[in-house]
Amino acid sequence: MLSIRNLHAQIGARKILKGLSLEVNPGEVHAIMGPNGSGKSTLASVLAGRAGYEVTQGTATFMGEDLLPLEPEERARRGLFLAFQYPVEIPGVNNAYLLKAGLNAVRKQRGLAELDAFEFLQLIKYKMKLMQMDESFLSRGVNEGFSGGEKKRNEILQMAVLEPKLALLDETDSGLDIDALRVVANGVNSLRSPERAIVMVTHYQRLLDYIEPDYVHVLADGRILRTGDKSLALELERRGYDWVRQEASAA
Amino acid sequence: MNAASPSSPAVAHYREAFERVRPVLPGSPARRAEAMARFAELGFPGTREEAWKYTTLRRLEARRFTPAAAAGEAAAPAALLTQRLVLANGAPLQALPSSLAGFRLSSLAADTEDCLLRPITDLGTERFAALNAAFTAHPLLLEMGPNQQSDEVLQVTMLTTGATPVMASPRIAVRMAPGSRGRLLLEHADDDAAEHFTNAVIDIELGADSHLTVYRLQHQGTKAFHVERIEARVGAGARCIVRDSQLGASLARLDVHVSLDGRAAHAEVTGVFLADGSRHLDSHILIDHRAVETTSLQDYRGIAANKGRGVFNGKTIVHPGAQQSSARQVNRNLLLTPGAEIDTKPDLEIYADDVQCSHGTTTGQLDPNALFYLRSRGLDQSEARSALTRAFAGAVLALVDEPALASRVHDELDRRLVRLLEVAA
Repeated sequence: MLSIRNLHAQIGARKILKGLSLEVNPGEVHAIMGPNGSGKSTLASVLAGRAGYEVTQGTATFMGEDLLPLEPEERARRGLFLAFQYPVEIPGVNNAYLLKAGLNAVRKQRGLAELDAFEFLQLIKYKMKLMQMDESFLSRGVNEGFSGGEKKRNEILQMAVLEPKLALLDETDSGLDIDALRVVANGVNSLRSPERAIVMVTHYQRLLDYIEPDYVHVLADGRILRTGDKSLALELERRGYDWVRQEASAA
Repeated sequence: MNAASPSSPAVAHYREAFERVRPVLPGSPARRAEAMARFAELGFPGTREEAWKYTTLRRLEARRFTPAAAAGEAAAPAALLTQRLVLANGAPLQALPSSLAGFRLSSLAADTEDCLLRPITDLGTERFAALNAAFTAHPLLLEMGPNQQSDEVLQVTMLTTGATPVMASPRIAVRMAPGSRGRLLLEHADDDAAEHFTNAVIDIELGADSHLTVYRLQHQGTKAFHVERIEARVGAGARCIVRDSQLGASLARLDVHVSLDGRAAHAEVTGVFLADGSRHLDSHILIDHRAVETTSLQDYRGIAANKGRGVFNGKTIVHPGAQQSSARQVNRNLLLTPGAEIDTKPDLEIYADDVQCSHGTTTGQLDPNALFYLRSRGLDQSEARSALTRAFAGAVLALVDEPALASRVHDELDRRLVRLLEVAA
């Protein structure tokens, strides 16, 4: 589904990704862990098409199509979703508008008819219940005045509505208390399916107690240095990242 | 002396035109002559004049407009509200009803010396207010009696029309007696058949504890010249609310002057302007706090795109003795495309020590993070830009509490934003 080969990316002259490779298949859940500054968020940004990153080498394909020349909205419409580490507050653009415009753009790409106002509302109410969100939220500005936890729940709500093929969760656990983390994790788990893949970028093992990954990768110095199962996350928690680096440089 | 010398050919042109029309003008001949002399004395401004620093009137000065005759018939834009009066080239299109939406209506009688032509002084538009007083043929008086209140909105459509370039001089005086309450929608439109010049004066007096809301919709055609002065004197405990939408014309200058004369008088002047295409829109707002406990809010959102140019000058003066006053000024500007320009000058002068004042001005582009966020949810570039631009104006448009007008302005903005964002994308 997602195939990244030898990806090099930089911001200005600063090289951040230095030959990253990753294969993700439908139904899989991957966790990418790594120390600060290792390139985790850069990877998510490059895949979602954020401006300011230059890819100098390597390839990334999504469903067999070259991802890198596509505009951010073209990626979203093809089924790629990024849950932001820092969701943006947009006063004056309400949540209902964004969800409806996004959903109809995705449906159009899939050859489906636009939802009318009634169908949309039915769908959205169901998904909001899942994320334990109040209906008053729909008429509020996107993320406007939301707490950290509400913002992250809103990201997962958007994901639940857009039903992507591939979801990238960028530090979705950061800033969440344990109750909010549980709600967010439940939302993500309810979206696990054999057709959908999830890639979580995270700093802490904690999230993986709630969303169990099939694979854990260590990203450091712009490359994936080690891949294992969820026991690798526990080992990282215990031993830190330095030993992975040392073993990688010894190899 | 620069090109704006009072003895310019343009001034001579209006002086000759005045001589031709003066025998048929109603009202005091002396007042008309004084007004004409004042215009001739001040002449057209040059850009060395501070009030016209960013707006050159060379094009306006070069044209030879004919003072508009009353139009027998004219196609006015569809009415937004049920209570409407159309002034075509300043004159009522139909016989003037005696009252509408709670207002008593009357025009200047042939030989009375009343308030309708009173001199309006100061600011960059004094000269044009004088020119208006010289030429206005059917000034309209709207009165609301003591404690009379109406929730209806009176729409007055000022339409400038003619096959050749005309100068229309609509003038409306609004007199709110103590305790009265009323609402007005002042619409400016033209037939876009020629390069018309609309030179309007709105002269408002609010008695103690009266409330007046003036909604303004200026959506003249792309050839139009528009100059307007809104002058308001606000008595004790009275509220003067102006909700402005400056959307049209090729060149438009609006001066709004509100003088808070009585204790606890309140003013709000808020609005949006959209300078797209090659439009030049210049708005000057001045609020004078002259009494204790007076309060004011200025909040303008300006948008410019393509070769459009916006000028905004917001000024608040708290005079000596106007203690316990509070004033807030906000002006935010958005440049949608490279090449667009907005010149803004916030100005707060405070001569009293026990006051609360704040002001803030920003000029910038759409937030790239917000754009990326919307696009990452599937919205294309122009949808995302249009949504953010509407949100930008929406904060002020939300104050327009007349739904028919609010949706009309939203539609107009949407229509033009979609077009210009498609071109820009």
